[in-house]
Amino acid sequence: MTLRRLMLAALLLFATSFLPHGLHAHEASLGVLEFREVRPGAFVGRWTMEPAIGSAHVDLRVPKHCFLRMPEMLCGAKGLVGPITISNLGANMSAVLLKIIPLTGESRSYTITTAYPVVSILGAGAPTLQTWAELARTYVNYGIDHILLGADHLLFVLGLIWIVRGGWRLAKTITAFTLGHSASLAAAAFGLIGIPERPLNACIALSIVFVGVEIVKQRRGESGLTARYPWAVAGGFGLVHGIGFASALAGLGLEHRLLPAALLFFNVGVEIGQLAFVVLVLALLWAHRRLNAVLPRWGELLPAYAIGSVAMFWFIGRLVRVLGAA
Amino acid sequence: MRRLLGRRTCVAIAALLTAAGPADAHIVAARLGDFYAGALHPLTDLQDLVLWTALGLLAGSLGAAQGRWLVLVLPLGLLAGLFLGPVFGAGALGPVANAGMMVGLGLLLAAGIHIGTAPLCAIALGLALVRGAVNADGIGPETNRLLFAAGLACAGYAAITLTMALTLAFRRPDAGPSTAWRGIAIRACGSWIAAIGLMMGGFALAS
Repeated sequence: MTLRRLMLAALLLFATSFLPHGLHAHEASLGVLEFREVRPGAFVGRWTMEPAIGSAHVDLRVPKHCFLRMPEMLCGAKGLVGPITISNLGANMSAVLLKIIPLTGESRSYTITTAYPVVSILGAGAPTLQTWAELARTYVNYGIDHILLGADHLLFVLGLIWIVRGGWRLAKTITAFTLGHSASLAAAAFGLIGIPERPLNACIALSIVFVGVEIVKQRRGESGLTARYPWAVAGGFGLVHGIGFASALAGLGLEHRLLPAALLFFNVGVEIGQLAFVVLVLALLWAHRRLNAVLPRWGELLPAYAIGSVAMFWFIGRLVRVLGAA
Repeated sequence: MRRLLGRRTCVAIAALLTAAGPADAHIVAARLGDFYAGALHPLTDLQDLVLWTALGLLAGSLGAAQGRWLVLVLPLGLLAGLFLGPVFGAGALGPVANAGMMVGLGLLLAAGIHIGTAPLCAIALGLALVRGAVNADGIGPETNRLLFAAGLACAGYAAITLTMALTLAFRRPDAGPSTAWRGIAIRACGSWIAAIGLMMGGFALAS
């Protein structure tokens, strides 16, 4: 019995010290570069958010007809139209947000990532098919990146799968989570609701602790709230997680007319990533049943304690940040 | 002409298999972080794909009782190889050694020899130690080693678990003689794996 407790303690220690180190979901290293048009064809560039590697080290390439010598960029009568490239995005900088502020009309934003280091500046006219295609490519990928790097969101989904296991109940539960986070993501992105990021992140961590406790209850034969109404819990906490997704879009300064489309594409990306994760977890659960490789009776609660411990670690860390900021 | 074409095709395939080694996953690292870099790094090397698949097929064909221990042995071996391999220089094991492992696993699978749990675990551990050491090449100076290792171990766990379960589901040993052809099909895969190993070994020795 003592040995089991010792092993349990060692595993918990392992889980808490191992996972939270690098799996911070939203610590994206983003740089923001702004080009403001001061007279027709002439722009002044400024890094409003300094990239991690230092602005001097960014390999920025502008359209051929433009001449760049920071902070000045001259594009002549043709204006700023064509490809802008950053070729040395690397481990210390994942993305650069490029904001173009013309003399007339709305400002425009583009996201340059390692996977897509080139953006085409489209001019101030009405959005074309190319605009939509580029928007879709950028934001679907951004959504996939966000969910796959969001260990907290994935851990919550894993907890739901662990409780509901499979079948239609799981389909309904995941759908409820999707509806919940889509609704709050849209509301937050359009400015209908707004919650400070730090307390929100603490709430997200707490939602995972809740799921961990629910798994323990279920394994002890008690009927918890999630076991009885999984769709309600998934939908409710989905609302919280959705606001978290919105915070990823908030800093991008999207053009107002393109916001609904960007939001849609971002959500599609999140769903693709989430679906891939659910399919993988279900496949692994099936494989374990097939191989009869299941946890021994004494270890049935280990996943719940691991999920709960990691989430509690996050919660305490995030709560400290909330209290520190207050 | 046909024989010449066949030989050229074999040489081309062997060249492709051998040349797949130096590719890396730094783009993944930059985009999705070091955990995914570790998880996807084996995909950049065909030797990992073939060896892991061969091991999964072998373990799955032996049955759940023998194979299930590999769910733990392979990821733990990969971790040990990743951290200890560079210390002992195990990563320098050349393509001939990898080809040898492929031939060995392929022949075991093709011959349909029954292997006990302990020898199977020993084979899996040896393979995991070597491949873990080889995958250490993907760790750059800025890579978070812990995240990379976690990604590699998770990839090993998922790959071996799914391959074994799929093999077991395909083989259906309890279904009687009508499904005997399934066992033959899996053994045929073993002969292909051994052939790939022979081609790789031959190409490595010749170059």
